Amino acid sequence: MAATNQQWARGYAHQALSDLRARETLVNARAEKCHRLHFLQMAAEKVCKAHLLAAARGPDSVREIRRSHAYIAGPLPQIARHFYGKLNDNNEISRWEISEIKRLAREIQLLAPACKEGDVREDNSEYPWEGAKGDICIPCEYSFPNLDDGNRAIIRLINLIRAAAATFSQ
Amino acid sequence: MKKSKLETAESLAKGHFRVEPNLKHIHLIEPMDDQDPNDPIRLLEVVEGTLAIGIQPIGFTADPARGIDYPSMIVEISPDEYKSVRNGKVRFADRDWTIGRELLAG
Repeated sequence: MAATNQQWARGYAHQALSDLRARETLVNARAEKCHRLHFLQMAAEKVCKAHLLAAARGPDSVREIRRSHAYIAGPLPQIARHFYGKLNDNNEISRWEISEIKRLAREIQLLAPACKEGDVREDNSEYPWEGAKGDICIPCEYSFPNLDDGNRAIIRLINLIRAAAATFSQ
Repeated sequence: MKKSKLETAESLAKGHFRVEPNLKHIHLIEPMDDQDPNDPIRLLEVVEGTLAIGIQPIGFTADPARGIDYPSMIVEISPDEYKSVRNGKVRFADRDWTIGRELLAG
């Protein structure tokens, strides 16, 4: 018998929580930023897919959702908005913070090598790429200036990703 | 007292409007089965600046502790996509749905 959407959603959410734990291990071990961001990207992608799979119907939709990496920029702000109240005494997320989460979600999606925004963004957290001057850029040496993974906004977003994953993972 | 599905949908819509500056319209997607607590509330949200990537519903579980007694499903589309579905029908989950009453407009 084929797996249900809820089973798929639980699987993705459970793995997202594991990715976040791996990220924490890397942070504590002072690993390079590319590795910390790589696990953040994987957790964000999986939690988004869990919520998309929960709403999907039919094997084609499930296959399409499982295949693509471009499922963070759209869903993550909606997911963050939904779970913000759960973590903050039912207070609503501020308009500033939702705008910042949209920016962060787009940048996190672009960390996947397959997401290049029409070949203008080659920077990614996994593989070397050719820079504008023909030089080779290496993720473990790159600063990822658009993503400060120690700032408060991104830490709050990570907590929202964790809360969102936990709802399907139980 | 437990809210009805419509009351919950209106409450969700108000909350989303308060925090999303680019939200222009929220419609119910119908039919909504009031008798089945597992049938999700479906909302169509038109957001300026959102990526035009087609109909991509996102599912949320119920959260009774926060007054959300039913699962919900949000479909976010761009204003251009909204124009193309103004015939009143939207297709996802292998079936056609009706764009129902507008809950709020910006």
